Amino acid sequence: MTVSDETLMAYADGEVDAATRTIVEAAMRDDPEVRRRVAHHRALREAVKGAFAAVIDEPVPQRLIAAARGAPAGSIVDLAGARNAAAIKSSRGLRWQPAAMAASLLLGLALGYLGWRGSNTLVTVSASGELVAGAGLAEALSSQLSADHAPGAVATTGLSFRAKTGDYCRTFALTATHANSGLACRVRGSWKIKVLAQSAETPANSSGFRPAASADSAAVRAAVEESIDGEPLDQAGEIAARRGNWSHP
Amino acid sequence: MSTNESVESIQEQIVALLPRLRRFARNLVRTPHDADDMVQIAVERALLRLDQWHSDARLDSWLFKILRNAWIDEVRSRGRRAKIFMPEEAGEHVGEASIDREVDRLSVEAALARLPQDQRLAVSLVLVEGLAYKDAADVLEVPIGTLTSRLARGREALQAMLRLPEGDIS
Repeated sequence: MTVSDETLMAYADGEVDAATRTIVEAAMRDDPEVRRRVAHHRALREAVKGAFAAVIDEPVPQRLIAAARGAPAGSIVDLAGARNAAAIKSSRGLRWQPAAMAASLLLGLALGYLGWRGSNTLVTVSASGELVAGAGLAEALSSQLSADHAPGAVATTGLSFRAKTGDYCRTFALTATHANSGLACRVRGSWKIKVLAQSAETPANSSGFRPAASADSAAVRAAVEESIDGEPLDQAGEIAARRGNWSHP
Repeated sequence: MSTNESVESIQEQIVALLPRLRRFARNLVRTPHDADDMVQIAVERALLRLDQWHSDARLDSWLFKILRNAWIDEVRSRGRRAKIFMPEEAGEHVGEASIDREVDRLSVEAALARLPQDQRLAVSLVLVEGLAYKDAADVLEVPIGTLTSRLARGREALQAMLRLPEGDIS
């Protein structure tokens, strides 16, 4: 009686029915070669399983436990933001880098969502590979004042300020996606996205209006606090900056 | 199993499954941190879709499937292929390595990493996670015959790479 290797594999995996098991076990009794092949399958199974055994004993990161218990996405992102805020504090001189890291960390979530909606009008990638505001978001960032409540706009703007680099930066919240806030800075004529985060803020209400204060999340706050030079712009400051098309004075 | 379990109860079951989800994710993504990111994304998705889970189905299989699909989406949307196993390329070397016998004995993990992705996932779900063939086929969304053939080829390649003594299998 010859038994195929695939059958022996299934036997070793406990995947054969009673009739096949009887045949295999008879073959094992009669043929040491069959016994050896089954033993190999079992040995490989043990070796492969053993290679990953240590992962099971590792402590599970708190953020995963929080996620499984249904903590709002925003609070989880806030954990990431807190981590990055800590990284910012410990790495003076690399001013934008932690924010950029936060951005890349969160982009998978945010961009996947935006990309899935096919809305590159909000965020797009420039020729040089940088993340920049698409036409719709750029229009909102360039034209709206923070006090504006423009129904139907793709984004509301929150805080405007001069960064230590001299660039004008603005926080924003995307209206359509309900859950993304970010920070963009005006660099060489385009709005570079510095941070894009999911936030747990309440979605826009039926009128499509979001309060400007919702352009906020720990990751965005951390990036603002790190980069801001002095105080945020007041309305007069925003109007002046807008008149200059948000370029360096 | 109750047909009307509370959300909290399912959440605690998911918490209990986190070590296995993390282990499976390590077969998808190279670095532990990225693997945990995938687990987090999958868990968040699962909670949003709890209504799609039927309590007579295995929760672990369902979560593995969400994790795998989340990973596929990530690969597509993030373009992070550099950080993820390169199964197509690695797979091409498997045959050469086992023929010319020039490779040193590989660790099991390194050998698994060299398997083509389809085979690696089949091996991981059945041999590491202990899923039944039909559950593993369901996670991978393939017929059971496809699953067993991937599993057989994956094992064969592993045997060759790990230089476990080979019998006259033919």
